[in-house]
Amino acid sequence: MAEIETSRLKKRKRKFIKRSTRVDLTPMVDLGFLLITFFVFTTTMSVKTAMNINMPIDKDGIKDDVCESCVLTVLLEKDNRIIYYKGAAENNPEIKQTGYAPAEIRKVLMDKMYKVEKMRGKKESFILIIKPTAASSFKNFVDITDEATICNIKRYYIDEIKYADKQILEKNFY
Amino acid sequence: MPKVKLPRKSTIVDMTAMCDVAFLLLTFFILATKQKPPEVLAVKTPTSVSATAAPDKSILITMTKEGKVFLMLGDDTKKNAIIDDFNTTRNLQLTSTELAKLKKEEYIGLPINKLKSFLNSGQEMPASLMDGIPIDSTNNELSFWMRSVTNAYAGGDQSELQKMILVKGDGEALYPIFKNIKEALKANEIFKFRIVTEGENVPVGSELYKTGKEVKK
Repeated sequence: MAEIETSRLKKRKRKFIKRSTRVDLTPMVDLGFLLITFFVFTTTMSVKTAMNINMPIDKDGIKDDVCESCVLTVLLEKDNRIIYYKGAAENNPEIKQTGYAPAEIRKVLMDKMYKVEKMRGKKESFILIIKPTAASSFKNFVDITDEATICNIKRYYIDEIKYADKQILEKNFY
Repeated sequence: MPKVKLPRKSTIVDMTAMCDVAFLLLTFFILATKQKPPEVLAVKTPTSVSATAAPDKSILITMTKEGKVFLMLGDDTKKNAIIDDFNTTRNLQLTSTELAKLKKEEYIGLPINKLKSFLNSGQEMPASLMDGIPIDSTNNELSFWMRSVTNAYAGGDQSELQKMILVKGDGEALYPIFKNIKEALKANEIFKFRIVTEGENVPVGSELYKTGKEVKK
């Protein structure tokens, strides 16, 4: 009996095959790339940018040369409306209305800028005056200043609604 | 004709290298992404084409949709000085424990008369319950705060301070609130500041696009 047992053991030892330690890594690679794609697609790039605002110092008056026909005033009204007129408010300008879509306000600004360029020889003569009303939102304000940057308007000023502007608004829209 | 025996090669490729690459990329992306700090004040900023990145260290004036104004003093080195200065200039008579508590607050969003009771209550107050800093033209407390800010930075490089002053506002906030913030800054002779916006691409074909210059207003 003992003999047989040893022989069996010997046989078993001989039968023992060395198994490879290799694992199939394909599923793991799949998982890895799946996670990468997931993270790449889910992360939203939100880089906060800063827009510079320069306010005029009240003390010194503006000494720039200003021609009336070079000025475009935009009044930011409620419900994302823009009311604009050319020249001074006191001289009964033609009042028009537009919106914030690129086809609207940008076209208005560009048209006026080209007109001024034709008339005066340089784009820099064009002056944009932005007057936000109390009913306009912060977004409107940022949008219009941004639009001025997009149109590469070198001179734009932010002003408050004056009496003449109020009258224009009342006369035309209320 | 004897058959040409093409040796059959196994199609199994060693995946170890590929696996390494995949996980290396994964770890890289996870570590490289900057975690967005949890926003205490939910504000949806408008977009602009500006390409200047907002600085991390800043004096941030936040304007919520409801028109409340909060002040965040992000520069830790000056925060204590600003709050101490505010305490003395406005004569708040806060005790040292109250001051220490105020300094720990992430943002300031209460009018002066409610500040002391809040600090003594020992309770957390969500931003939605805070009144915000009053900015009416009659009682513009933000300008007092900005006075303390300018006091704390006095003597230093003022252009550095100008770069740090940020106004972040919800797009739906009304313009007069922004105007009052502007007034508060103006009262302290701060004429340059920045508005925090979400980035946006320059529209193709626009004047700015044609110049192709870096957007810097």
